[in-house]
Amino acid sequence: MIGIVFRLTLRQLIGRGRTLMMGLLALLPVLVAVVYRLGSQDTDQAEWAATVLFEGLIVTTLLPLAAVVYGTAVLGSEIEDGTAVYLLAKPVSRARIVAAKLLASWLATTVTVLVSGLAAGAIALAGEPGDGILLGFGVALVLGSLVYSALFVMLSVVTSRALIIGLVYVFLWEGLVNGLFAGTRLLSVRHYTLGVADLFVEAPERVFEAKLGALTALVLMAVVGAATTWYATRRLSRFEVGETT
Amino acid sequence: MTLYAGGLRSAFGLGRRTSAKVIPFALAVLAFVPALVQVAVGALTSRLDADVDLFAHEDYFGYVQIILILFCAAVAPELVGRDQRDRSISLYFSRAVSRVDYALAKLAALVSVMLVLTLGPQMLLFVGNGMVEDDLDGYLRDSWDLLPPILAGALFLSAAIAGVGLAIASFVPRRAYATAAIVGVFVLTTSVAGILMETADVSFARYALLVSPLVWEGAILWFFGARPDPGSEIRDADFHGAVYAVAGVVTILATTALTIVRFRRMQA
Amino acid sequence: MSAATVAVRDVSRWYGNVVAVNGISFELGPGVTGLLGPNGAGKSTLLHMLSGFLAPSAGEVEVLGESPWRTPGIYRRLGLVPERESVYGLLTGYDFVLLNARLQGLADPHAATRKAIETVELAGAAGRATKGYSKGMKQRVKVAAALVHEPEVLVLDEPFNGTDPRQRLHMTELFRRLGAEGRTLLFSSHILEEVEQLAERVLVIVGGRLAASGDFREIRRLMTDRPHTFTLRTSADRRLAGALVAHKSVLGVELSDGRLVVRTSELGAFARALPLIARDAGVSLHELRPTDESLEGVFSYLVNR
Repeated sequence: MIGIVFRLTLRQLIGRGRTLMMGLLALLPVLVAVVYRLGSQDTDQAEWAATVLFEGLIVTTLLPLAAVVYGTAVLGSEIEDGTAVYLLAKPVSRARIVAAKLLASWLATTVTVLVSGLAAGAIALAGEPGDGILLGFGVALVLGSLVYSALFVMLSVVTSRALIIGLVYVFLWEGLVNGLFAGTRLLSVRHYTLGVADLFVEAPERVFEAKLGALTALVLMAVVGAATTWYATRRLSRFEVGETT
Repeated sequence: MTLYAGGLRSAFGLGRRTSAKVIPFALAVLAFVPALVQVAVGALTSRLDADVDLFAHEDYFGYVQIILILFCAAVAPELVGRDQRDRSISLYFSRAVSRVDYALAKLAALVSVMLVLTLGPQMLLFVGNGMVEDDLDGYLRDSWDLLPPILAGALFLSAAIAGVGLAIASFVPRRAYATAAIVGVFVLTTSVAGILMETADVSFARYALLVSPLVWEGAILWFFGARPDPGSEIRDADFHGAVYAVAGVVTILATTALTIVRFRRMQA
Repeated sequence: MSAATVAVRDVSRWYGNVVAVNGISFELGPGVTGLLGPNGAGKSTLLHMLSGFLAPSAGEVEVLGESPWRTPGIYRRLGLVPERESVYGLLTGYDFVLLNARLQGLADPHAATRKAIETVELAGAAGRATKGYSKGMKQRVKVAAALVHEPEVLVLDEPFNGTDPRQRLHMTELFRRLGAEGRTLLFSSHILEEVEQLAERVLVIVGGRLAASGDFREIRRLMTDRPHTFTLRTSADRRLAGALVAHKSVLGVELSDGRLVVRTSELGAFARALPLIARDAGVSLHELRPTDESLEGVFSYLVNR
């Protein structure tokens, strides 16, 4: 059952406009890395790769944008279009439906950001010891995709404005508020992701340091991921169609 | 034609479902929050004779920039997309309204709404600062020359954001993607411009600033006659302030033209 | 009386201050029932509650013995044809029905799909993407998707929307056949002919309330206090009119177009009195026709009541 819904969703995700937009988005870090290599490097390559490229561009911007687009598309657009009825009017558990949708969003997001990140990172770090940067951020991106996806899938079940709310969460909460009030970082997927990266990145602290400890990050990821998925399933099993005539 | 702009403004700027209005409204309120905080703090500390100035006028625009971007991203696609989807666009075009007028009217509506968010908090700040001063006349005499830059900055910022937002919304029919695209464009140009400044040769990289939201900061600093912070990209780029203003105006004109062209080509 | 497959007991649904469905009760068994009412009367709301897509604010809904709300298992025996046009545009008609068959967990999804597609006569177009289907074809593929698991109960929300007369005829035949097989069908419409031609039983819903239910002739009989109108062709209209006006059962007469139109409040009394009055007046009756014997007349009376 999960497989059927999963494959169906993937087919729907590969639309011309959306794939083009994501492709361009994924290309950006690669281009930036190329520019970096062509120019004069007076900064340490590892430091640039970790702080500027991965933390500054990929985790902060690319990852959440990709996750928000895919996460709200997998279930949100079905609900908006009216095709969700065909999935729900079936003897299939709501948990399986949510799981299938989540997996599809996770796969699409991970492919987008991982390919982009690894390519850009490899270019930036060429000829230098990686200090575990590629590994660390690779794992972090995979896990971050999952938690972001879970969050946005849940939002798209709860509200029809999931996309803009997701964007407000990412750029206002994780962007502005987290910067101003350190405590709010406990509720920030961005910082969980950075925390996980820190686990593998062996570079000294001047190169890269996450604000959240790795263990804290992993635990919170598990909690947030499980809680949002559980809530999404609960809301989906109480799904009500809006008033038409 | 001007009547039409006014009519469109009320029809689309405010006439949406309640649930859809929540987010723009919430964002609008957030834009005022720092000003409120400043005024409140000022009122509390005035008794202590301290001079608390959390937000300078010229910096305020920078703080609320993301809120303005998110607001535009939420509202612009609604403004444009609804007509396209409902096909009521044919109705508008079949009347004696030229497509140019239609595009301009939409733009005017969006800019006006955004002006509330840009000018409003600034005026609150201005008036609030004045109220905690003992010498109101003196304050007004000293500070009245802040008003032109405030006005210019608010107008410039509103038009710049609205112009880009509306252009993107008119090219991306599906509402959700338009929203994501608007946020994406603004955020990514800022990030990339910043990265390039650090990464590549400054004399070339600084041109990247001119196509990014950093233009707004540069222009506003120039309006206020203030200096950029040390270490900021604007300081490093070392352009004359007017360059930013010109770049901004060019962007506004270009995006408006794009929007008009888009509407002219559109199938009714 | 056969066991009811669908039972609704004092069901209401409100949204804030707006009451969409107000205290409706009825029971359905095998056969075809039509839900008739103007737009906004609450038909879709009721159907959503019956198909598990809306919870009632009050009252109980029972389909095949259980409440459909939050009971995904019920969809093994319940089929739904939703009102909205959109289907998975990228899939072919065949693949769309196959998807539904697979999600139902059928043992042989392909066989079921083929059968369903043949039943709705869509075999020719089944290989094309549904994106390119006409409205009528989309309706048919939706019906096929709802039939693929041979449900006992079938709920259809405005199934004739967008179908041309030929398609409507074919679907009416299909639904009649399904009803005869012992399935329970409930469909909604705001168009009288559709309901008149197909439904064995009619539920008239107006303003969220059940205005009437039963065979539409039964509905007429229920309303003996409703004024009936007859058109007569006689040998001497004017003389008969004068005689009739005096009778207590006659509300009014009208002479128009060479016909005599009589409005009466008491059907039985009028029917008995008319021949006698005519004979005494020396008038021959050539033709007597009820003017409003149709669902139309019934409906407009109920709506305006």
